[in-house]
Amino acid sequence: MVTQHPVVAEGLTRRFDDLVAVDHIDLEIQSGEIFGFLGPNGAGKSTTVRMLTTLLRPTEGRAAVAGYDVVSQSGAVRASIGVALQDAAIDPIMTGTELVMLQAVLHGIPRSVAAARGAELLERVGLTAAADRRVGTYSGGMRRRLDLALSLVHEPTVLFLDEPTTGLDPTSRSALWEEVRRLNTEFGTTVLLTTQYLEEADQLAHRIAIIDDAKIVREGEPAELKNAVGDPTLRIDVKREDLARTSEIVSVFGDERPAREGRVAVGLRGGASRMAEVVRSLDDAGINIVHMELDAPSLDDVFAEATGRRLEGAVEG
Amino acid sequence: MSTTATVEATGDAATRAVFRVGPVAAMARRSIRSIVRQPQVWVPAIVFPMFFSAVSSAAFDRTRSLPGFPEVDSFLTFILPATIIQGVVFGATAVGTDMAIDMENGFADRLRVAPVGRIGLMLGRLAGVMVLAIVQTVVFSTVFVVAGASIAGGLASVFGLVLVSCLLAGAIGSFALIVALRTGSVEAVNGFFPILFAALFLSSAFFPPNLAGGWFEAVAEVNPVTWMINPSRRLVITEFSMSDLIQATAVSFGFMAMMTAGAVGALRGTAR
Repeated sequence: MVTQHPVVAEGLTRRFDDLVAVDHIDLEIQSGEIFGFLGPNGAGKSTTVRMLTTLLRPTEGRAAVAGYDVVSQSGAVRASIGVALQDAAIDPIMTGTELVMLQAVLHGIPRSVAAARGAELLERVGLTAAADRRVGTYSGGMRRRLDLALSLVHEPTVLFLDEPTTGLDPTSRSALWEEVRRLNTEFGTTVLLTTQYLEEADQLAHRIAIIDDAKIVREGEPAELKNAVGDPTLRIDVKREDLARTSEIVSVFGDERPAREGRVAVGLRGGASRMAEVVRSLDDAGINIVHMELDAPSLDDVFAEATGRRLEGAVEG
Repeated sequence: MSTTATVEATGDAATRAVFRVGPVAAMARRSIRSIVRQPQVWVPAIVFPMFFSAVSSAAFDRTRSLPGFPEVDSFLTFILPATIIQGVVFGATAVGTDMAIDMENGFADRLRVAPVGRIGLMLGRLAGVMVLAIVQTVVFSTVFVVAGASIAGGLASVFGLVLVSCLLAGAIGSFALIVALRTGSVEAVNGFFPILFAALFLSSAFFPPNLAGGWFEAVAEVNPVTWMINPSRRLVITEFSMSDLIQATAVSFGFMAMMTAGAVGALRGTAR
């Protein structure tokens, strides 16, 4: 496979017996791009990453990373990539410094160079003070930051981050986002990031692919995808007994969209200028509005529009 | 950090995960450090075999007077090779346990995405238990001699025992790695421990099979552990002989080569 892109996949498929975990997906990630792979648990994000990082062989299709085929040139792929997998993959018995040194030597960096680079990386992720402590004593956020440092020690061309902020508190999450942005802007590192968090994909990714049930259902820039949804979403909370009538009345103003229980949502044609009309119609029908909000299309709307349901674990619709 | 260059995929050397000494040494350091930092691994592997030997010696010392029993000045002399192998069985399975833990916490994947040859990764992992086997052999030999055993071949025989135990640790460690890689379970690795123990007991390790007779003798004679124990024992109770050393090391090396190949195959299989 000859390619100018850091990550390319054509018809990439992985089956586990009868289960199709990844179903003929195509990807083309540009150099220097942060690419978000957004989807619910079990959608196929991690399986895709495992194939692209040589940890799992594709059942069908082909993929190239950093210009190398992930099956026939796996050694070269491994030398070119940095990987931080789901759940910080670190040995709790070793110290931060020892792990960075091990990772460096495994990538062929001489120990003399590795020591300086390791110290610099640990400082960059704010772990200098804890560098000589066993990793078993680190907090979740510290482990994630160390995991990121480990994946960067050999200055990879392409960085894979599989759900890097799952389980982190908001402060640690923001710090990790900042570091990913810095890597991308300062060093031009291409990043493939999987996430189930809409905000993360929206904040970080230049382009995203939404994966659901093993297939990519949407792909593009976040703004472009949101614009494609079109009308803003009007969400109305009413009493349970008024739900059916409310749904019927507001259907005149736009297409119904997936919403949580006890709520009606429509894509409001004409946007905010028609809010008053909706209120009047409901008032005329004697329906008491408990809560009402109008939101510009979000990635959740993009997901809902593509799959017919809201993204698991995301802001409810 | 560099941006991605346009690269045409070819079968050049860079695409192969080559065998390099640095990463193997780094893995070996990690493996040794891991054992040193886990006293629950090395303390039982040294204490239990000696305790078992003390009990056996007290209980069976008078069997030395049975006709056909090898001429030894102490029962400890007779069971020294068995004690070493028993210790190696205790200690070497730790590499499988560590592997299963690495698989559970994801660290094994981090190692697998490093551009290092699979054989190198395996040898590095085995280094810790091989070093432990050397320590066990030296400690057991010293303690047994102090307690009344004698080693006829002197230091040359001890060196032979070190070599055999080291290779055997590699073999048992590789076997534990295969189980870990196939199952990903610490429990499964520990579950195979009794099988190894049974193989040891069904050999000439603790009693001469010809004196036991019956089915035990038949089983012990075809048990490869016996093929390793007997020449090792001759190194201890008669004198150092190159042919005994070669026989003992050939069996343990054969085990190790077979098991390490199996472990590398199992590691490669995890990507399928």
